[in-house]
This record gives sequence, C-alpha cells and structure tokens, in this order.
Amino acid sequence: MTSEKSIEVMGHETQNQNNDMMLSMLREILLRKDREDIAEIKERIDDPDKLAEKITPIVEYHIETLKRKFPKEYRKEVDKIVERKLKASQDELLDLVYPVMGKMVRKYVNHQFLTLKENIDEKFTSIFSTKGMINRLKSLIFGVKEGDLLLSDLDNTSIEEVFLIERDAGLLLGHFSRNTTIDRDVVAGMLTAIKAFVEDAFSKERQDLEMIEYGTYKVYIQSFHQYYVSVILNGSISTSEKDKLSSRLLDFAEKEMQNITMNSNEEHDFEKLSNKLAEYFKQGAI
Amino acid sequence: MVSKKVILTGNFGVGKTSLFNRFVYDRFSDKYLTTIGVKVNKKVTQVNGEEISILLWDIAGEVSQDKVPVSYFLGAAGIIYVFDLTRPLTFENMDRDIEHLRQLLPDSVIKIVGNKKDLLSEDEINKILEDLTQECKITTSAKEGTHVEDLFKELGSELLQSS
Repeated sequence: MTSEKSIEVMGHETQNQNNDMMLSMLREILLRKDREDIAEIKERIDDPDKLAEKITPIVEYHIETLKRKFPKEYRKEVDKIVERKLKASQDELLDLVYPVMGKMVRKYVNHQFLTLKENIDEKFTSIFSTKGMINRLKSLIFGVKEGDLLLSDLDNTSIEEVFLIERDAGLLLGHFSRNTTIDRDVVAGMLTAIKAFVEDAFSKERQDLEMIEYGTYKVYIQSFHQYYVSVILNGSISTSEKDKLSSRLLDFAEKEMQNITMNSNEEHDFEKLSNKLAEYFKQGAI
Repeated sequence: MVSKKVILTGNFGVGKTSLFNRFVYDRFSDKYLTTIGVKVNKKVTQVNGEEISILLWDIAGEVSQDKVPVSYFLGAAGIIYVFDLTRPLTFENMDRDIEHLRQLLPDSVIKIVGNKKDLLSEDEINKILEDLTQECKITTSAKEGTHVEDLFKELGSELLQSS
C-alpha cells in the first residue's frame, strides 16, 4: 500500500515537471519577441547616444512645430499675460526703466551739446581773459603748469544735503546732510510744493523742474517715476559736473531703489535709504 | 513713526490758515493774509499712544479743478474740507467739491469742518448742519482753539486705522 502511494506520488511529480517544462517552453516561444524588444529598448535607454539618436529628431520636430505655430496659436494668450503683468507692475516697471532711459537720453543727447558749448566758452574765456593772461605769465615765470593754476582757481562744489522724496505726497524717504538743518520733512514738503507748482504752471508735458538757485546754493533735482532726489549744492556746477551727478543719482536709483515700497512708513526703510545716501554722498564732492 | 500728508482745502477766507496756525503753533491772528500757493508744515501728535507725523499742506483759495494745481492734492492720505459757518457761499458748492475730491483721492479720509463757531449760537450752528447734504461731524473755532486739537486727533486716528 505504501509503495503504491509512493509510485503514485512520483508519477505526479514527473507529470508536474513535464507541465512546468512545457509551460516554460511555451512562455519562451510566446514572449521571445517581446523579451528581445524589451532588451533592445533597455539597451537604447541605458545608452545615451542611442537614446538621443531616436529622440532628438522627434524633439526637434516638435520644437520646430512649436516655433512655427507659437506666434499664431499662443500670441493672444501671451499678449494677455504680458498686458496683465505690465498693468499690475506698471510702477515697478517704470522705476526700472526710468534710470536706464535717463542714462541713455540725458547722457548722450542733451548734455553733450551743452558740454561742447561750455568747452568752447571756456577756451575763449581762458585764452582772452586777464586771469588767463596772468596765469600764462605765472606759468612762464615760475614754471608751473597752466592747467594746475587753472585748477587751483576753481572753487570746489560740495554736496551739502540730499533729500529722497516721494513724488506726489512729498514725504521724505531718506535724507543725508553734512550739517544739521531745519526740519527736513518740511523742506521735503515745500520742495515738492514748489516743484508741483512750477511743473503745473508751465504745464509742459513730461518736463520736470531740474534746478533751483539761491545765492551760492543750488538745488539740483532729478525726478523718477515715483520719487525724486534733491541735492543741495554749495558752489557753481558745470554741465559736466551736472552730468556726473546725474549719473551717480541714476546709479543710486538703479541699485538701491528697485525694491523700495513708496510710503511704507517703515522706520527701517528710512534708515536704510538714509545710510545708503550717506554712503554715496558723504565725501561731499560731486 | 507714521508720516501722512494732509490737505487743508476749502473756499478763501474760511480759516484754513488759522486752523493750520492753531494746530501747528497754537496761535491765532485776526489779520487776514491770503495764502499764496501753498504752505507746508509738520506736527507730530500722539494718537492712542502712537505717534503720527502730519505733514499739513495749507492750500490757497479754492477746491475747483482749474484754480489749484491737482498735483498739490496727490498723495494725500487725509483731506480737511473747511467751510465758514457764517458764510453760506462757502458751503453751497460743498457737494460738487466733495465729489471732486473723492474722485481725485478715492482712498483718502475726508473731514468736513465748519469753522468760526465762536461767531454763532449753538442753535444757529445746528440749523446749518441739519441743512447740509454732507455730514459734518465737527465744528471748530481757530480763534478760540475749540475742537481744533480734537479734529486732528480724530483725523490722526482714522489715518492710523487706514494705514
């Protein structure tokens, strides 16, 4: 009885082994092609060169199609997004563009003519003036260069105070002074009122008040979209010096004013900007 | 400290400069000197334990669109519209003026103030205020200093709330 059972078990085992073998062969036959394909794909994926060979033409084709179709298909959408973005950040954009525009326009057009005129005037004056003659004589007698004598004659223009003012409200955003002065907030307010009055009275579109003079003092004003800077100068200022000062102010605007919120009423913003103004102008010279 | 621009506006002779002088310097003069252009001054005042710096622009003359540069109004957080309680001429165009100011500065706090209350009785003042189409919650006398400080404290408080 026991040996019959063990023969039966052995018979079953052989049967099972045969079935497994058959199944394996069947699997081999059915899946051979798929396995080969998978192996090829794997090989292609693992090898960047082979992958690129296959994908690059497809990507390039799609890029080309996108390039071709983009203006036509997405233009309206892009225009809308850009328009929305521009409207939302108009002030920031203008503040960003203003210094650059200022640099380009101010520097290379208007003042070049004035500088040229000034140079010609200066030449004439220095050659034919009594001082010019005396300097020439001094130069001949003492052997000192005429240019050095001319330089020593020039008075040095100094920056006394700088006010950074919010354009409409006239509120002070930052301040630097070499001396203690009267209430800086009131000065900022009054300067804004004077500026507003002049610009309104003569109502020239997009023109800004640039200079106020009293005695030996001058108030040089550089306007930006949301704020303006008033520089109180002692002494005379030539066109080239004005250009230099303008460039420094544009540089200040470009570097320090991009992330400033107008009328934030934050004490730390005021301190920060005042310190920055001091950094730029504490030397006193233009 | 919070800084705010406040405008004093209204018809000529209503006492804008007197209110300005009373508030800033605590003084009053009977002499009438018309303001030319604009005068700017500052006063730091305490409101509910917080300091506020009021930059006060005393604007000459009128409110109308063509006579005062619009740029004077720009950036103002508060407007004090002053009229003379004794001269109806100074408040007969109030609706138009307030509308103009609201269009110009939609986010500003507007205070309508009847000045020269020392020249009228309480009943007379009440009658005038009842007939007004705009709400005037405060009447002042720059001459006697009545309610001037209150006016600026109230305005300061509203400005702090709105900032």
